[in-house]
Amino acid sequence: MIAPAHNATAPSDTVVELRGVWKVYTQRQRSARLGDIWGTLWRPHLRRVEALRGIDLTVRRGEVVAYAGPNGAGKSTTVKLLSSLLAPDAGTVRVLGMDPVGERVRFVGRIGVVFGQRTELWWDQPVAASLEWKRVVWDIPRPRYERMLGFLTEVLGLGDFCHTLARELSLGQKMRADLAMALLHEPEILFLDEPTLGLDVLAKRNILAFIKELNRERRVTVFVTSHDMSDLEQLAGRIVMIHQGHIAFDGPFADLRKTFADRRRLLIETAGGPPPALSGADLVASAVGRHEYIFDASRVGIATLLAEAGRDGEVLDVETHRLPIDEVIADIYERWQRGATSQDATP
Amino acid sequence: MAARAAGAVARALALWRVAAYLDLMFVTRGPQQALGYAVTDSVLSLAAASGTLLLAERFAGIGHWTRHQVIFMLGYAILASGILSVLFGYNVLFISRRLGRGQLDHTLLQPQPLWLSLLTEGFMPFSGAAELLPGVGLLLWAARRLEVAATPGWIALLLLNLLASAAVVWSFSYLWGSLAFWAPRAAEEISSSAMRMMSQLRSFPLDGAGGLLTGGLLSALPAGFVAWYPCRALLGIDPSPYAVAVTPMAAGVALAIALWVFCRGKKEYDRTGSQRYSSFGHRR
Repeated sequence: MIAPAHNATAPSDTVVELRGVWKVYTQRQRSARLGDIWGTLWRPHLRRVEALRGIDLTVRRGEVVAYAGPNGAGKSTTVKLLSSLLAPDAGTVRVLGMDPVGERVRFVGRIGVVFGQRTELWWDQPVAASLEWKRVVWDIPRPRYERMLGFLTEVLGLGDFCHTLARELSLGQKMRADLAMALLHEPEILFLDEPTLGLDVLAKRNILAFIKELNRERRVTVFVTSHDMSDLEQLAGRIVMIHQGHIAFDGPFADLRKTFADRRRLLIETAGGPPPALSGADLVASAVGRHEYIFDASRVGIATLLAEAGRDGEVLDVETHRLPIDEVIADIYERWQRGATSQDATP
Repeated sequence: MAARAAGAVARALALWRVAAYLDLMFVTRGPQQALGYAVTDSVLSLAAASGTLLLAERFAGIGHWTRHQVIFMLGYAILASGILSVLFGYNVLFISRRLGRGQLDHTLLQPQPLWLSLLTEGFMPFSGAAELLPGVGLLLWAARRLEVAATPGWIALLLLNLLASAAVVWSFSYLWGSLAFWAPRAAEEISSSAMRMMSQLRSFPLDGAGGLLTGGLLSALPAGFVAWYPCRALLGIDPSPYAVAVTPMAAGVALAIALWVFCRGKKEYDRTGSQRYSSFGHRR
């Protein structure tokens, strides 16, 4: 079920290149039995967790790549590897032609990183003071700083809260300020780990629009992880899905839907009576003449289903919708989980 | 080489300047906070020394140290601690907290060597300076009573020894604090335990404590170098002309060991990263 990766890129265009990257952790295991205390104290039982299993990944300049996977799939590990916070156990990591850990000082000057649950802002300082700190630490020349500050103030609306203490900002304002901090030195690539975590709908929409504009106007490469698939679908042209340390899918969102079944919702309104029995579609709800089905459009045509429904009685109205991407992804995760369970059960 | 060193110094000065600006902004966020901060820190640092001070007063000295010699030592100890508070605030000194809470990541994302970030990021010349004034006051008062010949050479030796004492404490905190690279949760507070041990033992003259104990307090637990040994040398209690060089040499050794362990820990961090994160105490 692995889609072909879109790797045919000219070397000069490549900004991220992972080759055969492995990352393994050990986890201490303990039983809850009192009798095992001495045994585990002197001889701890360690479990090997393979977060990444020889993954290959290429990202081209100017791409927006969504990186998704269930909890514990290895998303944060990958972001840490790409942003110099972690070294691989095997394989090579090259970002902007550099080894992130080996050339950290030069490297981090060219990237921007935002972790949704962390902040780079100085807590007891106004946002403006944090930006000034960033200018000095990143050694940004004054004219460039002024230009970028003007740009970011305008597009992120920093003017409203630039002189407010970071501790008093709303979540949405904090994220906007953190994005400004990450972009002030004009990074070539932006790593975003859960950038919309906890934001309300409006704040989320604004942040997503800003990232899209940034990519379009300034060709900043964006590598974003999120659990919110509809956010990712709005933002990225390409989705890389990771599962149990492997890349399980790499391609456009449209292909993801097709690869993992093009599931759709069909709503049929009839004059009354029982719901029509449709082969190839699952009835999920039915009430006073309104019947809801889920079907796989790649296996059964909508015309066939409607013809079948018409045979059982008069059809008054029909609606069809694609399933939201979140539900598609949830199905995929569920399928993976079932696969893993059945594998575990095999002796 | 010289140009590189000059560049590093200029960079450090620029970073200290911006840290000082942030600290001034913090201290002056309100008159009540500014005043409260200065007063409480001064009271706390004097309270920490008051036990030894009262003992010295009650018995007109401790051992063969006179009352004024003890007060000189207390002033020296407070000053050495004050230097660390000024230079290594925001838990840079309590490095195990930063490691244990996953906050080193923030430092690693800055485009400068780690040593430069750690040297400059915690500079708090205003909010961290509360110990400096009482320390200088006690030191000057006692030096005048002791009729110390404060020649430029002696003052230079005093400053060198003060920096060395601060370096010994810093090394001790980093040596133990580096354990958090391997055990972030268990060792999160180990720097503060190490510092507490040093601060409890720093205020007492150790003469007559016995060879094993004195040796231990000048090696494994080098609290003797925080104030006792350098003051002994500076006040001429130890007649050897080389005694004033011992604390700086000890600081060199302590720094070398601490940095070696820290670098080993950093390699481990590159391999395992941080498995937990808490923003508590970070940049506040």
